Amino acid sequence: MLLYILRRLILLLPVLFGLTLLLFIVARILPGDPVGLAAGPNATPELIAQMRSELGMDLPLPVQYWNYLTGLVSGDWGMSVFTRRPVVADIMEYLPATIELVFASLLIAVVIGIPLGLLTAVHKNGALDYITRTVALGGIAMPRFFLGLLLQMAFAAWLDILPLSGRYPLIESPPDHVTGLYTLDALIAGDWYAFQVALSHLALPAIAMALSPLATIMRMMRASTIEVLQQDYVMTERALGLSNHLILFKYVLKNAMTSTLTVIGLYVSWLLGGTVLVETVFDWPGLGLYATQAILTQDFMPVIGVTLVIAIIYLITMLIVDLLYGVFNPKVRYA
Amino acid sequence: MTLLDIKNLNLAMTSYEGETQILHGIDLKIERGEIWGMVGETGSGKSLTGLSVSRLIPSPPGRYLAGSIEFQGRDVLKATDKDMRALRGRHIGMIFQDPTTNLNPAFRIGTQLVDVALHAGSADPSVLGLVKGASRSELKKAARRVAVDMLDKVGIPKATERIDDYPHQFSGGMRQRVLIAMAMIGKPDLLIADEPTTALDVSVQAQILRLIHDLVQERNIGVLLITHNLGVVAQVSSHVAVMYRGRILEAGPVGDVLKRPKNSYTQALLNSVPTTHTKRGELKGLNGLVPEVSA
Amino acid sequence: MTQTEQTMSVAIPNRNQSARLENWSRAFYRFRQSWLSIIGLTIVIALIVIAVIAPWIVPYPEHVVGGTNTGAQFQPPSANAWFGTNALGQDMFSLVLVGSQVSLFSGMAVVFIAIVFGTIVGAIAGYFGGWIDEVLMRLTDLLLTIPSLILAMAVAAALGTGVWNMIIAISITWWPAYARLVRGEVIVKKEEQFVVAAHALGANWVRILGKHILPNIVSPIVIKASLDMGFAILTVASLGFVGIGVKPPTPEWGTLLSGARSYMPDYWWTAVAPGTAIFLAVLAFNLLGDGLRDVLDPKARR
Repeated sequence: MLLYILRRLILLLPVLFGLTLLLFIVARILPGDPVGLAAGPNATPELIAQMRSELGMDLPLPVQYWNYLTGLVSGDWGMSVFTRRPVVADIMEYLPATIELVFASLLIAVVIGIPLGLLTAVHKNGALDYITRTVALGGIAMPRFFLGLLLQMAFAAWLDILPLSGRYPLIESPPDHVTGLYTLDALIAGDWYAFQVALSHLALPAIAMALSPLATIMRMMRASTIEVLQQDYVMTERALGLSNHLILFKYVLKNAMTSTLTVIGLYVSWLLGGTVLVETVFDWPGLGLYATQAILTQDFMPVIGVTLVIAIIYLITMLIVDLLYGVFNPKVRYA
Repeated sequence: MTLLDIKNLNLAMTSYEGETQILHGIDLKIERGEIWGMVGETGSGKSLTGLSVSRLIPSPPGRYLAGSIEFQGRDVLKATDKDMRALRGRHIGMIFQDPTTNLNPAFRIGTQLVDVALHAGSADPSVLGLVKGASRSELKKAARRVAVDMLDKVGIPKATERIDDYPHQFSGGMRQRVLIAMAMIGKPDLLIADEPTTALDVSVQAQILRLIHDLVQERNIGVLLITHNLGVVAQVSSHVAVMYRGRILEAGPVGDVLKRPKNSYTQALLNSVPTTHTKRGELKGLNGLVPEVSA
Repeated sequence: MTQTEQTMSVAIPNRNQSARLENWSRAFYRFRQSWLSIIGLTIVIALIVIAVIAPWIVPYPEHVVGGTNTGAQFQPPSANAWFGTNALGQDMFSLVLVGSQVSLFSGMAVVFIAIVFGTIVGAIAGYFGGWIDEVLMRLTDLLLTIPSLILAMAVAAALGTGVWNMIIAISITWWPAYARLVRGEVIVKKEEQFVVAAHALGANWVRILGKHILPNIVSPIVIKASLDMGFAILTVASLGFVGIGVKPPTPEWGTLLSGARSYMPDYWWTAVAPGTAIFLAVLAFNLLGDGLRDVLDPKARR
């Protein structure tokens, strides 16, 4: 098993290599001059040329790529032309916020979606089933950013029970940095007040992101459960007297998880790549905002950096999903 | 007390074509120590009779028009869900046809066995060899012990290790033994076996039948063995009932029915079994098909 | 006392339609059974019609090309302006209606381009196999690892503003999924008897692919396209929301929504109008897509 994990991790390397190459080529092919943009409208050609050589961007392309590659491995992911800081530093600053948001959304989607899927499968065509299926249809169609705006209007502006934006009130200081996830750090420090504050800020953005995955996970779970309930082994379990509760929540749940797992894996990519839409609405300082700003200023080192980070997280997630398949379906175990 | 007494059972099933009556006035009495074979062609209603005993036919689409099924004196058709769950696994054991699809593939066989044992043991700890008031952990340990014993008894070698294996690690015959173990672990009084050997090859079939026979001898249980195979009936049953289109045409001790059949359908069934004297081209079937009832 | 059954003589019934046509008419019948799908279809048709004739039916055509009326800014919905007016006094109803042109048209263009490009790549990879397959699939997988929104944003921003740049950018992230789908289907179909027969008769690969294989894999492509359309429109709006894509005065639902942010919650109609339009369009296409899938996908048959 360990060997399998190791092998998969090693296989990641050529993928990442190909990725960096592809991204580098795409970035250089695309029109646009970040240096010129960053230098500003009043810059003289000499100034621009000086900036360019400072940033090492006047070297031939293969050399630039090689420098970049070696830099990647040693922790130097280039400089952001716009922020004038190393990309790594920028990413380390913005990554925790995005992880916190993605993780919270996934948690909501899974914790609510899976049980709902199970229950509506058992009570097919009941009241709960119709309500949840309708909400699910709407949930998948609802744009995250519009939902975020609506939530803001309703809960922050009109009802005034949740904060409008940001991760933490500006006048207070967030909990001590351990992971960078304010909610987690607050719990680690045992600071209940800080936890509540951080949670209240996290709530609306997480809900805005969670609705679509929640809806799909619920639908998938419902479909799988319906299929599983028709299996012979469920009849045997029932014939031997096991309670409906036990059958559903211990046995059927495990059998139905495989397809849902695939959906969860795919949604991680959707969540990670799309945080910008919700970060914009809630002024959530995450990778999405950082990447967008870099895109708008045609600053491609940060864009490549952010893309790489997200790709790495996605690939590791898929590895975990593959391993979890083995947990839910013993026939595919990797001994 | 009669173990199982089915009186005038009439069952109708609803499909998209409407309601059709499937069972017409089924009468059957099973005492302890008897192995009743229930033979008939596919579609004769034998499986539905077996499922009815455990009330495993959901109420739509099934509807009992008349009759009763008395298990140890109590009418099962009038029992509540809770009562039925108390009977299932504990007083009535059931095994089905296909061992490949009847074991949950995602769980070790030990898990499934232990759960059935715990279910039986929570109502009556003596099943696990304990007294009332035993703690949860004691019950669990006893259940596991009983499960290993049961696997051993049904003929699974190295039971203590194999109990933690998954169903796909067993062969078809082994899986059927595991299913028999699961059905018997609660020490039931009645075993209903629906085509238990149909999916197995002949040599394995003989072993499974012998296993059932030994269990009956040992524990004095009653068995309802549903099959379309007259050979199986002849080998192991003590009594036989012949079913056709929801009716029992003939029933009685196996020797009587098979040697001196009173019903021409029974005779035709017997004639259709090829013997070593049957010449090529001489196979005698029964004309036509049992009418389809889609339910 | 013998049980004999009568043998029924079954006559082959006369059919008015060819088998293929009957298949389709049966499919339409099943489609009609689901009223959600009918609703989806109706809204989609309505949206398409609106998108086509929008510039001619809007009450304030001058507003959609940049004309302003600051005297009437921030009017709530009324008889004059059904969706109210925005910061520039422009009629939201007109803007949203014309906005449908960009959103719908772009969404459809993206899916169409993705299908064409993805099918070519997937069919070639699936049919020829070997190293061609390896190379093409590695490339496809690589593209699938990159978060699509970010890639689309980056390409669109680099190419500059404009509808077609945006469409190209999104299409680049959309085609890999189709390539994989088509490749999978082609791999299965090329082993079938009729392909082997065509090959034996001397057909070249273009003919085999074009005339024999591809017409038989239309179904899953159509299903995927119909399910995708809603999300393509959503992606177009997302890009607009972030500020990449079309620029004013061309109205686009995403950009309209983005511009309305600063005026929340007082002038809520400036956001609710375009937002609801996006929602409705995506919902309608999703319903339609679900309906088509239920009808066309043999595995989804309950």
